[in-house]
Amino acid sequence: MLDLPAQLTVDYTKCTGCRICELACSAKKEGLFNPALARLKIVRYDDLGMDIPNVCGPCDEAPCVDICPVYAMRRDPLSRMTYLDEDKCILCKSCAGVCVNGVIKLDTSRMRIIKCDHCGGDPECAKACPTGAIQYGSISQSTIRGRHGKMIHYLKEIERTALAEQTDGEK
Amino acid sequence: MQVGGYAGKILRVNLTDSSFHVEPLPSEWVREYVGGDGFAARMLFSELKPRIDPLGEDNKLIIATGPVTGTLWPMSGRTVFVSKAPLTGIWGESHVGGFLGPELKYAGYDLLVVEGRSDEPVYISIEDSDLELMKAAELWGLKTNEATAAIKGRHSDPDTQVAAIGPAGERLVRFASVIVNNARAAGRTGMGAVLGSKKVKAIAVRGHKALEVSDHDEFVRLAKAAHKRVRENGQAREMHKWGTWILTSVKQTIGELPTYNHRTGVFDGWEKLSGEYIRPRYTISDRACFGCSLGCKKVNYVREGPYAGTFGEGPEYEGLMSFGSLLGIADFPTALKANQLCNGLGLDMISTGATIAFAIEAFENGAIDESIADGMKLEWGNSEQALRLLEMIAKKEGIGKLLAEGSRAAAKSIGHGSDKYAIHVKGLEMSGQDGRTHRSIGLSHATAARGADHLRSLVTVDQLGYQEVAAKRWGRDKLPEIVDPYTEKYKAAAVVETENVYCIRDSMIVCWYSVSWPPIFWLDDFAQVLPVVTGVDSLGSTDELHKIAERQVTLKRLFNAREGIDRKDDRLPTRFTEEPMPEGPGRGQRVNLEPMLNDYYKLRGWNLKNGLPTDETLQRLSLEWTRTGVRRE
Repeated sequence: MLDLPAQLTVDYTKCTGCRICELACSAKKEGLFNPALARLKIVRYDDLGMDIPNVCGPCDEAPCVDICPVYAMRRDPLSRMTYLDEDKCILCKSCAGVCVNGVIKLDTSRMRIIKCDHCGGDPECAKACPTGAIQYGSISQSTIRGRHGKMIHYLKEIERTALAEQTDGEK
Repeated sequence: MQVGGYAGKILRVNLTDSSFHVEPLPSEWVREYVGGDGFAARMLFSELKPRIDPLGEDNKLIIATGPVTGTLWPMSGRTVFVSKAPLTGIWGESHVGGFLGPELKYAGYDLLVVEGRSDEPVYISIEDSDLELMKAAELWGLKTNEATAAIKGRHSDPDTQVAAIGPAGERLVRFASVIVNNARAAGRTGMGAVLGSKKVKAIAVRGHKALEVSDHDEFVRLAKAAHKRVRENGQAREMHKWGTWILTSVKQTIGELPTYNHRTGVFDGWEKLSGEYIRPRYTISDRACFGCSLGCKKVNYVREGPYAGTFGEGPEYEGLMSFGSLLGIADFPTALKANQLCNGLGLDMISTGATIAFAIEAFENGAIDESIADGMKLEWGNSEQALRLLEMIAKKEGIGKLLAEGSRAAAKSIGHGSDKYAIHVKGLEMSGQDGRTHRSIGLSHATAARGADHLRSLVTVDQLGYQEVAAKRWGRDKLPEIVDPYTEKYKAAAVVETENVYCIRDSMIVCWYSVSWPPIFWLDDFAQVLPVVTGVDSLGSTDELHKIAERQVTLKRLFNAREGIDRKDDRLPTRFTEEPMPEGPGRGQRVNLEPMLNDYYKLRGWNLKNGLPTDETLQRLSLEWTRTGVRRE
């Protein structure tokens, strides 16, 4: 049987912004409760009444791999998931800066890069999500892949309007 | 002693000399008070001088969290604001959801205490150990959502949690609220006016630290099982779908939907205020507070009509009631618009609606005339007028200046017998319940520390007739009277037990809906998880938790007693004790408060004559130190 690669997919229309996923992630990975150390991020827009989960993948391109100067970040050719080799990492933080989803972070207390690894194929966030806004499965199985694309557009739109505001309408 | 769950520190901000102080959380407080409301009661009683002006420099505002705040335990995002209340002059507290409390703990503090008074507008900025008072002159006058956006923008961090007051708080409207996350309100008793009097526009918090519990693996196991219970609970699923709007039809069915300033309990237009009507027409998304798998918040948008374009989170049932049935308005867009205005201007929606209802009834009966009402003919069911009055209250303009003092004070200055239309207890306007068709809430309203309060001891088991739950909790011998909403018998037993459990809930702090109808969690669940979080074994005994709760209730009572409260103040408006319910299922019912009060005092160990705690009670609860006011450690 062909084992199709699985990905984390999100449906922001289902996300309530409760951030249980962030807590579950930090509880599993760190044994602590600290959303700042979670490998995913919920961005809440209280003014728009909307919450957007940001998880690692699925990215068409992997800027974190491209930018790494010491090849510490590698990409699995089948699953297209990226992984960090901590032994090679020189803490230049380029990956944290370049990640479009903002889910590669620097742990300032222990000085290391923290990054999602899909919990080795059984991601805690997807299990903890009470509404099914975060799911884990193969892309072909996923009916919500298209929505992720919408989310990207939505984020770009926010950026565009913010820029337009800054430049005071000058295009 | 290493105690899990807590951040372990208290942060004090003194505005008079612009200084910050960090002190350790006294470890003995954990055993005696658990957290949240308990810590705040302990602190406010010993640090406030009696009879001070709530809007003066000597008052303090405490923002408290509990041991589970910011952890994986379900519905643990709650925070409490505690102060001497501007609206009532007694114990004031207001709980709020959202994300402020967890963020405060991630910044490293269990409690934030705001003291003194600033000369010019400031906002308090807390980012871990970076503590600053920032100038806020350009934020003064902004609505809460505008101030929140401006501060988040200034910090360039969307996760900065902001608690802000609006123009109403700045102008010291007695029932001004504090707004968190644009739409979560610490509404009741006027906490916004306390911040306004101190010239604090907002509190901004951001934290990056971690919280550790005593037994991590066991706690995560319990928390996951608890989340599963929430997700599988039928009532919780309904709540996720309808929010608190589910209550409108329940209240109408049992004849307890406050209508025309509590004159009656049934409302002709109730369908338009029910979840079934609202959700398909107006709701665009569901949201949740921190760590909540229930998710009762609704975001709504009005597409057409006079309020087209109105967008916002909320209102809750209480908001629908206070700008709906209470004013005779059967229109959701009006309630949503009122909710948006109240949140933006920083007003408590319950007190605002109730004060307007008071004015309308006083006008109807000739106590107010058109010269006082700025040429308006005050009337029921007039949306435009209600919203105009709301804005006048926030601006303290015309009749709004009078109403901004609250219905009790307004009735006093108007005179002409208008006090019987001011529906309040101890100065706090009544929430959306009615003791006539639900006796135990009558006792709750009369005895709750902050006034006519629906959150400290509302018993739902009797109201909805859950016989089995009642038998298990209070003994089969008390059936059937204890589940009969129309009799006073045994109601004090139900109220005392429920109030105790809610005290622990408010100390942990978890949300109301985790113990509501029928409860997902109760005291034994809290007794199971508290020792795992804190490592303090004594918190694993339900008897001990009952004692801690009694201590908290009695301490709040002592605080109020110091301000002159005794049995004569534990009363209900004559509307509930003398005017029988005119129509509906509860027709002819009224509240006979005295026997319930006697039972309540007996169970609490308070003196029947004056309603004050006896010496034996103080000794049993280790509260003898309150006799001298301040315990010397």
